[in-house]
Amino acid sequence: MATIAAPSYAAPADYSVGEGWRSWLGTTDHKKIGYLYFFTALFFLMFGGAEAEMIRWQLRAPNQHFLTAETYNQLFTMHGTTMIFLVVMPLSAAFFNLLIPLQIGARDVAFPRLNAFSYWVYLLGAIFISAPIFFNAAPNAGWFGYAPLTTNAYSPGLNIDFWALGLQILGISSLAAGFNFITTIINMRAPGMNLMRMPMFTWMAFVVQFLIVLAFPVVTVAVVFLVFDRFFGTNFYTIAAGADPLLWQHLFWVFGHPEVYILVLPAFGLVSEVLPTFSRKPLFGYPVMVYSGILIGVLGFGVWAHHMFAVGLGPIADTVFGVTTMLIAIPTGVKIFNWIFTMWGGSIHFTTASMFAIGLVGMFTIGGISGIMHSSPPADLQQTDTYFVVAHFHYVLFGGSLMGLFAGIYYYFPKLTGHLLSERLGQWHFWLNVVGSNLAFFPMHFSGMLGMPRRVYTYDANQGWDTFNMLSTIGAIIVGVASLILVVNILISRKRGAIAGNDPWGAGTLEWSIPSPPPVYNFAHIPRVTSRYPMWDLTSPHLTSDVPHSKAGDQSIEVDVAGVEQGHVGGRTASAQPTAGGRGVPVDSGARIPTAAELGIPIPYTTTKPFFTALGLTVMLSGLPFAHMDKPVVQYVLLFCGASLLVGSLYWWLTSPLEPEVEHPQHTAH
Amino acid sequence: MPLAPRPRRTAAVALTVAAVLVIPLALAACDAKSYPNSTFLPHTEFGQAIDDLWNLLLRIGTAVFIFVEGLLVITIIKYRRRPGAAPPRHVHGNTTLEILWTVIPAVILVFIAVPTVKTIFKTEAKASADALQVEVYGHQWWWEFRYPQYGVTTANELYLPIGRKVNFALRTQDVLHSFWIPQLGGKRDLISNHTNYLWFTPDSSMSTSAWNGTCNEYCGASHANMRFRVFVVPGADFARWATHQAGPAVFNATAVAPTPPPVAPASPAAPPRRTAARSPTGSDGLVHPVAAVVDASGQPSAAPPTEPPTIVQGGIQSASDGDVFPRDSLRPYNIPATPTPDGLTFTAGLVGDASRGQKVYSISACIGCHTIKGNPSSVGITGPNLTHIGSRFTIAAGLYPNDTEHLRLWIKNARRMKPGVLMLTLGLNQTDPQTGATVTAGGLTDQQIADIAAYLQALK
Amino acid sequence: MATSALPTLPTADVGHGYTTTGLPHRKVAIWAFIGSECMLFASLISTYLIYKGRSVKGPFPHEPWTDPANGHVFKPILNIPVTSCSTFVLLMSSLAMVLALAAVENRDKPKVSLGDKILGSSRLWLLMTALLGITFLGFQAFEFTSFVHEGLSIRTNLFGSSFFTLTGFHGAHVTAGVIWLLTMLAIDFKRGLGPKDALNVDIMALYWHFVDVVWIAIFTLIYLIK
Repeated sequence: MATIAAPSYAAPADYSVGEGWRSWLGTTDHKKIGYLYFFTALFFLMFGGAEAEMIRWQLRAPNQHFLTAETYNQLFTMHGTTMIFLVVMPLSAAFFNLLIPLQIGARDVAFPRLNAFSYWVYLLGAIFISAPIFFNAAPNAGWFGYAPLTTNAYSPGLNIDFWALGLQILGISSLAAGFNFITTIINMRAPGMNLMRMPMFTWMAFVVQFLIVLAFPVVTVAVVFLVFDRFFGTNFYTIAAGADPLLWQHLFWVFGHPEVYILVLPAFGLVSEVLPTFSRKPLFGYPVMVYSGILIGVLGFGVWAHHMFAVGLGPIADTVFGVTTMLIAIPTGVKIFNWIFTMWGGSIHFTTASMFAIGLVGMFTIGGISGIMHSSPPADLQQTDTYFVVAHFHYVLFGGSLMGLFAGIYYYFPKLTGHLLSERLGQWHFWLNVVGSNLAFFPMHFSGMLGMPRRVYTYDANQGWDTFNMLSTIGAIIVGVASLILVVNILISRKRGAIAGNDPWGAGTLEWSIPSPPPVYNFAHIPRVTSRYPMWDLTSPHLTSDVPHSKAGDQSIEVDVAGVEQGHVGGRTASAQPTAGGRGVPVDSGARIPTAAELGIPIPYTTTKPFFTALGLTVMLSGLPFAHMDKPVVQYVLLFCGASLLVGSLYWWLTSPLEPEVEHPQHTAH
Repeated sequence: MPLAPRPRRTAAVALTVAAVLVIPLALAACDAKSYPNSTFLPHTEFGQAIDDLWNLLLRIGTAVFIFVEGLLVITIIKYRRRPGAAPPRHVHGNTTLEILWTVIPAVILVFIAVPTVKTIFKTEAKASADALQVEVYGHQWWWEFRYPQYGVTTANELYLPIGRKVNFALRTQDVLHSFWIPQLGGKRDLISNHTNYLWFTPDSSMSTSAWNGTCNEYCGASHANMRFRVFVVPGADFARWATHQAGPAVFNATAVAPTPPPVAPASPAAPPRRTAARSPTGSDGLVHPVAAVVDASGQPSAAPPTEPPTIVQGGIQSASDGDVFPRDSLRPYNIPATPTPDGLTFTAGLVGDASRGQKVYSISACIGCHTIKGNPSSVGITGPNLTHIGSRFTIAAGLYPNDTEHLRLWIKNARRMKPGVLMLTLGLNQTDPQTGATVTAGGLTDQQIADIAAYLQALK
Repeated sequence: MATSALPTLPTADVGHGYTTTGLPHRKVAIWAFIGSECMLFASLISTYLIYKGRSVKGPFPHEPWTDPANGHVFKPILNIPVTSCSTFVLLMSSLAMVLALAAVENRDKPKVSLGDKILGSSRLWLLMTALLGITFLGFQAFEFTSFVHEGLSIRTNLFGSSFFTLTGFHGAHVTAGVIWLLTMLAIDFKRGLGPKDALNVDIMALYWHFVDVVWIAIFTLIYLIK
């Protein structure tokens, strides 16, 4: 009988360089950065969720006064902006950070300091764009910010300044991370890890990075025009100068539609990891899954005008964009069927992770079907800008992105922290989420088709919308409770959850071959990869047995990992007898994880230079809004200080070495 | 084990949710009275074309939904983990299957795409030249409707003849808006520096009826309060309405009593339609446009009013010639139920005098923004045209009923009545919620406001 | 190995600097960056082209315009001969950049003739590249000032806004490149650039050539096509 080592998160030599807040401020470790992304995104999930709850409370019945029009408009703008840029993208980024190097057998990302920079820019940008809501100055023109409403003539306040500059800051974060991950995936795969052996999450992440680096420059340009219009008096969106408001819409949606896939493909990738593990079967049709992901990404750049069917593009453009939009359903449908057939013939174990993954398949399908319904331009004329569309994209982004990310959280939390999340709370989270979200979003199909416009802070009585809105509000409250349960689960399990061991699930990919949390160097020896599921090659005898963390014959959800009772686990020496079937990869009791120094692996220095560079950038841009407050002194002081800090830190960063020199022969460039 | 993750429960919950939510709602959605803005009950050929597509999409979508979700549910039930079961075989794929589920969706999409493209080219074709032309101008946050063939300019209330094709030219004076009457067809955006077109024919499935329209493109603070009403009337009535609206304002300068205690405007005991000429101070005050007898020839009996500078006085009969929409045809959903802001009150018992109101109006800030044809000093164009405001059912872009109480409060402090509105706060000692400033010098007293309201209400 | 009790994954004997493609990370990253920059300039150029001819008032790029308010006649703004010169200068800077990179890569090769010495001087060619870049920027500064004098500023009309923003963005890229070049030149003077620095110079060269190519596109689409 093998026993279990239980590395705890607090083992500094194994996981982090240094301790305390300084080690976080200066970290370049992709896992710690992933950890930071994860908890920041979780915070903003609650923030954006609170915004949604307030929106729903206002709309619970007609003619309510819980919120003023202005507050409501700020809240719905910030709900969209928060959920897209501050929750789903960074939560995906948390998984990119944690998983990409682990899944491809690398010791870190290609540019560890750039990675830290991405996180700090995200954090500061998130604060920059969110904080104004406490001063009643939050962005209030929608997350799509259609010109000319966003120009000085119609939005004279600071609201749009914060939005435009905040988007620029967040865009820099995403772009820097994009270059980093592209390089990491192209260049840091372990020997034998050819592209068609890459885990599906890394594949989808790879596609997403290309979408990011190709789509974000477009919105950057659109927002630069807006910033120039607002601060320097240019005419890009000035109607009197002959400007065309459709310029903004085209540029925004050329970015905005790929953005939808930026939001959903990481979730698809996570589900493609979770379903095989819990079906005990490899992913069905791996190559087709890869190609369909790429195809979704490519087609995603050719469908943007389906957001604009009502603007009068003419019959030819409507036809072209309608048909390309329909085409995108094909690779998406292929994915759905491949997931179902991954489970077909398998031995599906229902854990919270796998249930969220199955939930994604079920709910995303609904979003996909309603998507087809408005790919038809004439039909869309009755649907666009109504609650029908709200229902559609919540099924895609909540039922798709977030459900997939939740599946990923339950699945990978042990890898991130070394502890499993509580399955009992997880089940509550899942079921409340499924019931709540369907109750919240399904009636919106009806309120939309029965004539209710989007983005209204109030609606009149007797319009036939009351019941649906009340149902949506009840559903939203249930979702809110579910989300609180998730947070409680994470906060409790972070330190006290059952010890995970290397591989609590009996999974097949590389990240499960190393301790949880992984040591700072990830892999003591870079693995040589020979198949898509290298771990299953080793552990196939175990694979056939029960999923490791359940007790034989016990249907209770209170089953625990590797037979270790939750809460009874002390430190890293704790061990217990595994139950029938055992684990995928047992580890010797008390085995010590060697330090990087012992293995002679160079680890990047802890450095705060990326943080200060990010700080300089944010301070510099935060000077601009003062131009609209008639405070030129503050404006120029901030601009000057920020620019100095930016340039100084960047220079300091670029001229200092990443890591200590090692005797290993350096690979030379050609 | 209340939460045991059993697949049967998953299926049961999914089916229950479907049964509980979908079926009754789907059935209910076909009820016109309960769902006055339903897109499922089109009354134009445009709406019908969309509805045909919708029905196709709904059928295909439902079939796909049942197939995929059914397959998913069967899979998770059939292949759930069973103790002691043989380990699953490692299947990596199946080319035939994968080709199949690539090709079948593609074929299904062809069945959607072909009618879609046909409908696109049918509905986006140019409207025939003999169509009724209506120019729609979006403003923050109200609608201006112009009938160039009739010389009519009005606001927030659209009259359309049954059976005649109407071609809307959609433009905006400021930010983007979107024009939508769900029962009459799809929406179209109003884009700055562009003119968009939309046409349809209100068909004979309707008798005289009133619909609600909305703005559907987010346009700022009061986007939610940018509504309008559509009155579909027989062709002859429409012509009469248009002729009347084209003329200058006519009002009866009789003192107007305040509205009696507010009655539910939707009260089924609405006044009988087309009562003979009666005093504007009748039982229901001036809440409603007062219908009047049209003379035997069907022509307006008043002589064409002489244009400026004199203001036409009197002429009760002609004042109601344009009243072609009987008030009792209004349905509850046509009548705004927006509550008035807390603390915004009006002195009780004041009686407005329309003549006095006309004088106050003509020297107040009102004339800077509003036009009243027939009042030579009132030629502003940034606000709604008020020429026949007395004949309208609502004020503030469908936000409040056009009655004495609401009109007075509106004049007193429009910015509290409707967030962000451009109309200034006019009432003396009122605080402007946008600037925080209190109106002092030049502010209107309640008596002055009552007079102005009386004047406006008399403008039939 | 700590996890000794279980079968371990096969390991690969690769060094710390191993990369999958054999290319250094920075080389891969600069290509990703250039791809991203292509979309940036594509958006800026598209905007210019979409707004071409939409300005409600002049001055215009290729045709004269009479101000109806005061009868003042504005010349066509774009001065193609001058910009052709600056384009040529920027093209030549790419040539110098190629020579600089070659000189850095071949630093250790023996140089016999005067020609070898000239061609092998990385300082000379880096300086030349930077000077040509600065000259281009000088042309741009001249162009901008004269346009403003002729009545076209970034606020004047859609043409002004889109033109100055597009060319300004390009100019900012050239400026960044010049700073990069001067930094490299300083390092060269301080300790000499050798083959181990070739990667850094190579990346800089890729960036510089990209900025150059973008200018060719701008010059063709904005200046030459009427």
